[in-house]
Amino acid sequence: MTEKRFFQIGQRPGELMLPVAGDTPLNRRRLPFTRRHLLKWRSRLNPKTLQQERFLADKKPLWWTIALVLLVVSAPFLSNSALTVVSIFCIFTAINVLWTLIIGTAGIFSLATLAVVGIGAYASAALNVYLGLPWPLMFVAGGVAGLIVGGFLALPSTRLDGLYYALLTMGFAEICRVFVQQLKPLTPMNGSINNVGSFIPKDWFLQRPGLLLGFAGAFLLMLLALLVFRVVNSERLGMLLQTAREDEAFAEATGIDYRRARLHVFLISSAGLGVIGAFYAQFYGSISPAVFSLDQLMLLFAMIVIGGLGRAEGAAIGTAIVVLIDKGLLDLGPLRILLVAAIMLAVTLFTHNGIAGTRDQFRAWRHRKQSEARARRTEKGGEVMPEEAIEIADKQAIYYRRFEKRLRDRLKALITPDLIEEHRRSPLGQHSDGLSRVLNHFRRGEVADKYAILRQSGQFHAYKIVAFSGVRGAPPRLVDDRVYTDINEAYHAVFLLRVNDLMES
Amino acid sequence: MDIPVTLVHGLSLAAIYGLMAIGISLLWSSIGMINMAHGASFAVAGYAAWAMSEAAKPVFLAAFGKGIAGTAAMAGLTLSTGAAAGAAMGALIYLLAFLPIHDKPNFPVRSLIVTLALNLASVQILLWWFGPRQKNLPKIFGTGKVEFLGISARYDQIGTILATFAILGLVLLWLRISRKGLEIRAMMQNPEGAVLSGISVRWTALPVTMLTGALAGLAAILLSQTIFVSPTSGAMPLIKGLTIALLGGLGSVPGAVIGAIIIGFLEAIIGAIPFLGQRYVLFGTFLFIIIVLIIRPRGLGGLLDKARK
Repeated sequence: MTEKRFFQIGQRPGELMLPVAGDTPLNRRRLPFTRRHLLKWRSRLNPKTLQQERFLADKKPLWWTIALVLLVVSAPFLSNSALTVVSIFCIFTAINVLWTLIIGTAGIFSLATLAVVGIGAYASAALNVYLGLPWPLMFVAGGVAGLIVGGFLALPSTRLDGLYYALLTMGFAEICRVFVQQLKPLTPMNGSINNVGSFIPKDWFLQRPGLLLGFAGAFLLMLLALLVFRVVNSERLGMLLQTAREDEAFAEATGIDYRRARLHVFLISSAGLGVIGAFYAQFYGSISPAVFSLDQLMLLFAMIVIGGLGRAEGAAIGTAIVVLIDKGLLDLGPLRILLVAAIMLAVTLFTHNGIAGTRDQFRAWRHRKQSEARARRTEKGGEVMPEEAIEIADKQAIYYRRFEKRLRDRLKALITPDLIEEHRRSPLGQHSDGLSRVLNHFRRGEVADKYAILRQSGQFHAYKIVAFSGVRGAPPRLVDDRVYTDINEAYHAVFLLRVNDLMES
Repeated sequence: MDIPVTLVHGLSLAAIYGLMAIGISLLWSSIGMINMAHGASFAVAGYAAWAMSEAAKPVFLAAFGKGIAGTAAMAGLTLSTGAAAGAAMGALIYLLAFLPIHDKPNFPVRSLIVTLALNLASVQILLWWFGPRQKNLPKIFGTGKVEFLGISARYDQIGTILATFAILGLVLLWLRISRKGLEIRAMMQNPEGAVLSGISVRWTALPVTMLTGALAGLAAILLSQTIFVSPTSGAMPLIKGLTIALLGGLGSVPGAVIGAIIIGFLEAIIGAIPFLGQRYVLFGTFLFIIIVLIIRPRGLGGLLDKARK
């Protein structure tokens, strides 16, 4: 016997499916102390092969793991400059992921991200250099500084509209820059703090082991930021805010205090940004007012715009593209910014929500095209189209509908004025072959909406046409008010109604 | 601190910022777009006027000599070139940031991003084409000072103030009496209603973008009497214009005028206070605006007229 051959139909014929071993119990481990599963495994019966199969319903964790593992594995083989670029990518991804949390999850259009990072960096660096704070405590200092600044910035955020708040935060960044540059003790260094203590030992600085250690730290920082994003965005706070994003009034009516939730997200992100600031100061060993500059902010904005607002993968993709162009292609000179601007332009003009949103956009487009094509073939007359067929589990129903359609087509061809005239002459009794086929089809019809003749009670030879509801206990409905005085006339009227329905189907 | 000097300086600053802010405000209220490429229009117009004046200098010198006629001809040429270049830049913004996406989802944010990208790109192109060196526009109002009622003012300050009043008056008059102006005002009041009464969004947006571009171009020529033309010279006026437009309540023309006057005088005063000086100008402005926004979240808008939300 030859092997059964299946045609490649359906939306994803090539998707990898795992077999289900029926004799071993399914092992579904949960994360400790939670009810969460790490991966979204689902199983279903394949209606074609009639085999049980298991598949990963959400493959994002898989792609993330592959990408992160590739990054770690390839890092030791990179050149020194490439390693620096990758480390910067990690730091900026961490910043952008937290920024995405503010803009996307909390919906607060803040441009003070780099300002908070800078304040965290300056506060921790100053404590380290002038007060001798050891470097591990710098992270705590940066986080506390970020939290305090975030608290101040959060106060007007619920009162102001998006653009007004954006302007306010931009102004805040500018104020920070001027303030730092005017600080008396920093003026000799042009506003920067140098010789900051670091997790990279002094004599390793800018050496191979130092760069590797720097990368390791930056990678860890990125992982932490992604973890924070995951915990905030897809757990309680994120769920509350998602409700608020869809309908604020409804969220409020159901008792969701979305303003408070926004505030919490903002504070958490700000503290995180402060920690990143402390890391930033340690990574470079110094911090300068350039961190507050508008150009840097624009570049950061380009990153999240290219990637797509509101998604962690968007932040990572956008950061990768922009950092690669800006720091990796240094030979291009000012053309780099032009390239970034061109990408930004193209992405915004052609996609609805950045590169990370292209998948959804493509699916929506394909769905639209499919339904357009389906609508173009309205002549199907009840038959199941192939793309519908894959969604109907009971394959018998498909064949039944096809049979019905063909039967109706054949009967329609039989209906002629002669046939109707024949029925009018003798509604009951000896019929020609064609008429009896048509009548048999009518008799076989479903009870719902089947026509019947109702004799008017108390009247002699008075009939009306009704249609059954098809539901036990629900009375039939009156089709029209006309009273037929002859039963044969009523029979013929029902016949005409059914012929009409047949021709319209 | 010399009060009359500060007064004139503040008024001239207010005039230029007003031109920028009204452009941004008009564009927002009529087509709902925040134009971050306004600064690019500014810089491009400055460079176009500079290139044109460099090309025309020998011709004009031969034709009119060094007298008042030569200056007047040069003034006309630079102003018209600046306005034309600004309008061309406005048309480019219309083609890239409005036409392809104005009926797509997320238009306000996406147009903001597109114009921001345009701004970045045009600054880099200018830098690449003309180099980082600053250019000097011809003094279209001549050089010198005039004493009037005990107030001494430079020619360019008086020229700027008068020119701005004339330009703004003409623009507002055009908006008030012309057919297109009526359409634009209808679009500002109620975009949906305007569309339902047969006004085309596309054919209203084109003149608005070109008009606001031309306003930015004129502002560039007027401001370049005191500062130099450079690729990044558009950034500060853009920030100031945006700030004032927001302070005045986005979309409100009277609000923008009042905001420009307040900010202009504030800057002049901060710049004139000895222990603060020019370095604290932006600091002070932003501090002022933050305080205003905390007290009145929608700026001054709504105090004077209804603005588009």
